[in-house]
Amino acid sequence: MHLKLFRAAGMAEAIAQVRVALGPDALILNSRNVPGGIEITAALEPETEPLQTDPARLAALTWHGVPRELHPALAHGNLEAAIAGALAFGELLLAAHAPPVMLTGPPGAGKTLTAVRLATRLVMSGTAPLVITTDGKRAGATEQLAAFTRLLGVPLLVASHPVSLARALLQRTEGAPVLIDTAGADPREAAQAEELRGLAATSGADIALVLPSGLDPVEAAELAVAHAECGATSLIVTRLDLANRLGSVIAAAAASRLPLVEAGIGAGAADGLVPFTPSLLAAMLSRSQGKHHAG
Amino acid sequence: MPADEPGRFIAIASGKGGVGKTWLAITLSHALIRAGRRVLLLDADLGLANVDVQLGLMPVVDLGSVLSGRTDVAGAITRHEAIGLDVLAGRSGSGALSELPAETLELLLTRLRVELASYDAVVLDLGAGIDRIVRRFALWSDRLLVVATDEPTSLTDAYAVLKLQTQDQPDGDVQIVVNQAPSAAAGQQTYATLRRACLAFLHREPPLAGVIRQDPKVRDAIRRQTSLLLRHPNCAAALDVEALARTCLTPRDAQD
Repeated sequence: MHLKLFRAAGMAEAIAQVRVALGPDALILNSRNVPGGIEITAALEPETEPLQTDPARLAALTWHGVPRELHPALAHGNLEAAIAGALAFGELLLAAHAPPVMLTGPPGAGKTLTAVRLATRLVMSGTAPLVITTDGKRAGATEQLAAFTRLLGVPLLVASHPVSLARALLQRTEGAPVLIDTAGADPREAAQAEELRGLAATSGADIALVLPSGLDPVEAAELAVAHAECGATSLIVTRLDLANRLGSVIAAAAASRLPLVEAGIGAGAADGLVPFTPSLLAAMLSRSQGKHHAG
Repeated sequence: MPADEPGRFIAIASGKGGVGKTWLAITLSHALIRAGRRVLLLDADLGLANVDVQLGLMPVVDLGSVLSGRTDVAGAITRHEAIGLDVLAGRSGSGALSELPAETLELLLTRLRVELASYDAVVLDLGAGIDRIVRRFALWSDRLLVVATDEPTSLTDAYAVLKLQTQDQPDGDVQIVVNQAPSAAAGQQTYATLRRACLAFLHREPPLAGVIRQDPKVRDAIRRQTSLLLRHPNCAAALDVEALARTCLTPRDAQD
């Protein structure tokens, strides 16, 4: 906005000055009497340019491996607003008397570490959760989790099949929040999808898909869609501190419409996981491509 | 203390420097404390922070200590005992903070929301100008107070802040404070000028949160590095800031 003050003996003369100096589009904002006449405050707002596709933005989206069909939605305007419009974001409901939260995802996604981090957050906020793992098969799986739950002083139960899971859930006291860690599964396989649906039905849990970043975008989108079809309701992305390119995160969230809820951004048990927001994703997308360059 | 009190995070911006933004942030924080609230004042003027100087504090910890991982947010707070105010100082003369990468800033904001949850109100003194960090803090806060005086440069700079905020968040809670007004009526005129520009060019009508009258006592309090409400609690400017604090404690829908 251009703003200019005009002084003249009378109003007509002052307005004439405004028209000469600022043109016919000028707006009179105010006028007041001053010794010897009148003072007018006038303003002119230059035309703003229409939205344009930003070539640097397009280059960045391509570099990150964001699927081409998502480019139009993300290529112009404020990046954070574009992300908030194109993807869903939410909050993980992990509270007393809420349904249990079951963490699923491909093997090695970081489900157990995510369970530990969520349990740590609950303990720090003064609510001790009940932790259950259905992963009784994999060597060392339970020991890894047990080491943390001992440290946190929260109970850990092992339930390898639906019946023992139902029994374990009976030990939930006073509506304590429940976290269920699972063995890695790929619900694109019919049998594994069946098994996942069975566990969810038995426990009445909300399923949160834990997906590592850095996967192939098409693969990530397929996995997310398959989990959503099995009833997953939210998406937790891990290892964001280790991935350069975020195309898979956007592809998975867009294809499955699962809301992004948590972001794994570091190694710490207490501060390695933060709520996922459009602004965080925007910041990660725009960080210098050189900073994490594979070279 | 009702949990749903409006606008817990109140940011103060002005575009132009030298219009009394930091002074207002301190005095408004104090007025909120006098109204019975637990208040933290956050010096978000990263790089040219001076809340601590205006209060005569010598902080040994600040936002820089949080960012370097030396302490958590609670450990970076300096207490002003006479006012009963907790201050999270910025770091003056540190270029590193003003060049904070976007990602680090986002993580800091997330931590502030969580770790300052026990305060009834958090007042943010934003830097002058309209750079990326000022814009982000403004957008992140629940309520933005834009400070203007009747000087043309202050009006255009305040308008620039209002314009960016309208672009970033069309339905955000943005209000105008006129500072250093020669009289209450002159302050209303300054507001009317700004309001007309917003209405014509932005199609928005940010409400007036308050007019603070010009008062020689303000300069006296600043020179003595103390709060106006400690030194001259009944002067004109003090009464105006107390009225502003009451407005801040009223939900936006219930305001005139």
